[in-house]
Amino acid sequence: MKTASKILVLTAAALAAVILGIGVGSVFIPPGDVGTILICNLFGHPIPETIDPVYPGLVMNMRLPRVLMAFFTGAALSMSGTVMQSVLRNPLASPFSLGVSAGAGLGAALVMVLGISSGILGAFLLPAVSLAFALGTVILVVGFATRMDKNLSNTTIVLIGMVVSLFCNAIMSMLSTLSPINAQRISLWTLGSFSMKEWNQVFILAPVTVLGILFFLHYAREMDVMTFGEEQAQALGVDMKRMKWLLIGAVAVLTGTATAFVGIIGFVDLIAPHVVRRFFGASHRKVIPASALFGGTFMVLCDLASRTLTPPREIPIGSITALIGAPFFIYIYFAGRRR
Amino acid sequence: MLEVKQLSCGYDDYPVVKNVSFSVKEGQRLCIMGPNGCGKTTLLRAVSGLLPYKGQVSICGKNLQELSRKEAARSIALMSQITSVYFSYTVYETVLLGRYAHTNGGAFSRTTEQDRQIVLNSMARTGILDLKDRMITELSGGQLQRVFLARTFAQSPKIILLDEPTNHLDLKYQVELVEDLKAWTAEKGRCAVGVLHDVNLALDFADTILLLENGQVRAFSPAKEFDLSMLSEVYQMDVGGYMRRSLKRWE
Repeated sequence: MKTASKILVLTAAALAAVILGIGVGSVFIPPGDVGTILICNLFGHPIPETIDPVYPGLVMNMRLPRVLMAFFTGAALSMSGTVMQSVLRNPLASPFSLGVSAGAGLGAALVMVLGISSGILGAFLLPAVSLAFALGTVILVVGFATRMDKNLSNTTIVLIGMVVSLFCNAIMSMLSTLSPINAQRISLWTLGSFSMKEWNQVFILAPVTVLGILFFLHYAREMDVMTFGEEQAQALGVDMKRMKWLLIGAVAVLTGTATAFVGIIGFVDLIAPHVVRRFFGASHRKVIPASALFGGTFMVLCDLASRTLTPPREIPIGSITALIGAPFFIYIYFAGRRR
Repeated sequence: MLEVKQLSCGYDDYPVVKNVSFSVKEGQRLCIMGPNGCGKTTLLRAVSGLLPYKGQVSICGKNLQELSRKEAARSIALMSQITSVYFSYTVYETVLLGRYAHTNGGAFSRTTEQDRQIVLNSMARTGILDLKDRMITELSGGQLQRVFLARTFAQSPKIILLDEPTNHLDLKYQVELVEDLKAWTAEKGRCAVGVLHDVNLALDFADTILLLENGQVRAFSPAKEFDLSMLSEVYQMDVGGYMRRSLKRWE
């Protein structure tokens, strides 16, 4: 199958997952009705009277923003994973290797424990502080790595990232222990959730993710060269230090933004690049858009499972991504190896 | 084409190469020889701009330190010792990356017909055209080495630096690689510098020899005038005796 056909299949799967995600829940909305509501809203047409009057509000105000947040979060995390694995030339690397999640978690925990509030930022205070901490952690990690190793080698980045992550996690654990009232809230935040997501959050994450795709596509060839190692990449003409700063910075913004809104969701950033490479090869021109589509679809389905498997309780999304992702990844990986 | 003056470099303030000077003219093939740890690879890394150095390196009359990475890569290519590959690119995609320094980059830049031809010619030159669509993760070490050599050719540099390029190659391909390099340097405006351990291969490849000992130049002379007895001193073994024993077996 050609790349264009594979991308079309993935896009169709993503659309199907989105419609399924919107339709399935405590109130089932038939896919046809979901499609009609979406099209009517998109083109400003009145909703036909044949559709239950409860559905449009449910779709447009609750289900759609939640599903879109899941899709863009999955897309952002998967792309970031792909980029980090190429930049660090390590198949086990992820944006969280840089300390993004630990930094974001620490920021969120501080806001909860200290009870900080802001009139201007309102509900955006926690995501804003969380994003600031995520970016600050990455700047700390890369800055530290640069001071210790002028060449900014991959091993140094991963090692410093690990140490800073553990340090942030330790402070977060201390905060949880010192403030038992907030311990459960902190714990739930670190497991991630798409509950109560609103349009204003989608309007931030969606453009950041789309810009991320364009940015990474612009540097696709550089990333291809970088996967062959630092020395070879430099010999082929890539300014490694500049590229590492640019790409790591973009990953930090993308992952930091997603994490700030939905909490820490692991696994998708690790498995999506491997699954996509199995079908699309390693060229980043194909892998970047395919990772975004696959990661988004996967996250929408995981969110669907998290809220429908044990109603009315929601299973933390981080657990679902690992529960579904682990066996799926092993199947894809070993099926590919057998071929 | 390549002029190195009083070059010193090393790692973490530990000097490995000390005050090395040499030059390579158009059409020349220089072989750097010397025992392990004498600074051959370090010298190649510095000359290709991958390692900071003191002294001066001029490529076609231009100071290497004043060139951007892309500009440098258009003039000088380094084929390093083989490293493991983690991601599955096809052989064609891998060789095409050699054209990186000649492209403007960007999301929608397309491969030109000229780039495609250069890549296919480089693959034909190294005998890997039949592997074009194979994944590099499926190749043997020798096949992979030829893919990287093709990528080096596709870079269209004026100077090629090769760090033990015959690693992983069987005897036939070692000889073919040397012949390929001879043919490549014979074309206008090109020269090559290689690190080779096999004395026979080195003497076949090179028209000039640079012998290093403890990071310093022990000898720099045309291959025909090179005093082979110096090898025994530098390697601290009877190189001539070893060669003669080998020859006797053949006779």
